[in-house]
Amino acid sequence: MESSSPAPVIATRDLTKHYGKVEALTGLTLGVRPGEVFGFLGPNGAGKSTLIRTLLGFLHPTAGEATVLGLDVVRESVEIRGRTGYLPGGIALYDSLSGGDVLDYLADLQGQEPIRRGELCDRLQMTGTVLKRKVRDYSRGMRQKIGVIQALQHDPELAILDEPTEGLDPLMQHAFYGILEDLGHEGRTVFFSSHVLSEVERVCDRVAIIRAGRLMALHDVGELLARRRRRVTLRWTGAAPDLTNIPGLEDVVVRGDRMIGTLSGHVAPFVRAIASPNLEDLTIEPARLEEAFLEYYAEDGGPTESAAGDAPEAAETTG
Amino acid sequence: MNARLLLQTWRWQRVRLLVIVVAAIGWGSLFPIFYSAFSDALRSLANAGTIPKELFNFGSGSLFTLPGALTLGLEHPISLAMLGVFAVGATTGAIAGERQRGTLEVLLARPISRRTLYITVAVALLAVIGLVLAAILAGMAIGAATQGLLNQIDLGQLPLVFANGLLLWGAFAAFGLATSVSFDRTGPALGLTMAYVLLNYFLEILGSLLTDAAWTQKYSLFHHFQPGQILTGKADALDFFILAVAVVIPVVYALIAFPRRDLAAPS
Repeated sequence: MESSSPAPVIATRDLTKHYGKVEALTGLTLGVRPGEVFGFLGPNGAGKSTLIRTLLGFLHPTAGEATVLGLDVVRESVEIRGRTGYLPGGIALYDSLSGGDVLDYLADLQGQEPIRRGELCDRLQMTGTVLKRKVRDYSRGMRQKIGVIQALQHDPELAILDEPTEGLDPLMQHAFYGILEDLGHEGRTVFFSSHVLSEVERVCDRVAIIRAGRLMALHDVGELLARRRRRVTLRWTGAAPDLTNIPGLEDVVVRGDRMIGTLSGHVAPFVRAIASPNLEDLTIEPARLEEAFLEYYAEDGGPTESAAGDAPEAAETTG
Repeated sequence: MNARLLLQTWRWQRVRLLVIVVAAIGWGSLFPIFYSAFSDALRSLANAGTIPKELFNFGSGSLFTLPGALTLGLEHPISLAMLGVFAVGATTGAIAGERQRGTLEVLLARPISRRTLYITVAVALLAVIGLVLAAILAGMAIGAATQGLLNQIDLGQLPLVFANGLLLWGAFAAFGLATSVSFDRTGPALGLTMAYVLLNYFLEILGSLLTDAAWTQKYSLFHHFQPGQILTGKADALDFFILAVAVVIPVVYALIAFPRRDLAAPS
């Protein structure tokens, strides 16, 4: 029997958005699979928010097409928004309302029960007392937490989050990643933008890079990390271990009782080769997505720094 | 139309609405009192030529008849300010203000179409304007009753006066909302709408004060608000028609333009 892959939750084909002469998005084609946590990365002004706003019907494509949950972003944006949770970048809230009133109001407008609110408030430490305070008295981080809660409180099929960790302290970022992981485990699809590579490696299944409105790369995070060369450091007593013919080990430098090198691919052959009672210390630095990308671009002759510099900053703000 | 949004829009306006409604009742009640107290004295001054008659016929009003005095009251700058708070201030801020604050995208992230948002806001604000207008008319009726002047006006015509006034201020509100959906900031929308109202007012006042410039009045929407004529049983359907057209044009524009606009990220 022939198996067919499920329809993408987000699909764009040659999506283009121009503001006059400014090319905010050019020929963007990508697909986000159901149940996937998808990271959308790029420098400020690269076109991340433009894509998100086009997907939600705030902007109209100049050319190309896009669907969200199988619905056309131009003709069926209201239906899309009914099944989506959206966190705008740098969210603004109603200052004269309390945090709780904002959540009630937005849940009412959504027309769905805020079934996840309690859990989200607990995890993001938004207590009842905090929710009773006016939004005008909130810090930026608290506003962002309200933004995250309002986007997810009705348990949407798809969450579209624009720079979701902006303003969150490290503890709350950790809590937020936990929420994303749980959403992923529950089969919810999450599409989120960021300009910080390291932010997405923990939670994303796949990641796309956009620069100057063009898709530069689209990768499976696991594969990308597996390609990454890790920096390894060994220290031993007595006789040096045999470091020849270890697959993936390169750039070896031995200084006395210490060896520094780089390791690519699986670590098992390396660990087996160095296993010895003389081994005193071993450090294998974790593969970082940021470095993996830099290496990827270095190998593949990817975009140069000047390309990033060409990103139309105005593209995200020009009406 | 979205009921929750409608209620919230009213909720935003409730404090100033309460203050203005109370003030409007008091303000409206003053005109029958002024008429009762000063009409004869002013008529004598006018007849003696001490003060030009035109000054007593400010706008389409007159201090020499009760319906004229009430018309004058409804076109007085203070009445304009009371109604303008909502017909100009609230309408121009309704969409452009949300854009400026950045809250529009939070609102439109819900399953609400832009047309639904526009219609809901328009209905909410038209109701508020109607309430203020009704408060002024109620004040006038109360004032006339306290002065024993109810026999000089046909109270049965008040709903028609209300409808005429609602069309006038509805036209300004529709213009305000049309500018509101067109700009990302309140300033330009407010400025343009203020200019529109003031231009209409200027044409009306100029025509009423200067005989040579009387022709300017017919180009003013204020000139088609004729409570004096209506209260004396001389309502002109053309006035209603012209005001209705002035309502419909900006409404149609907004319903077409707003959904087609690109709403880029707030800067």
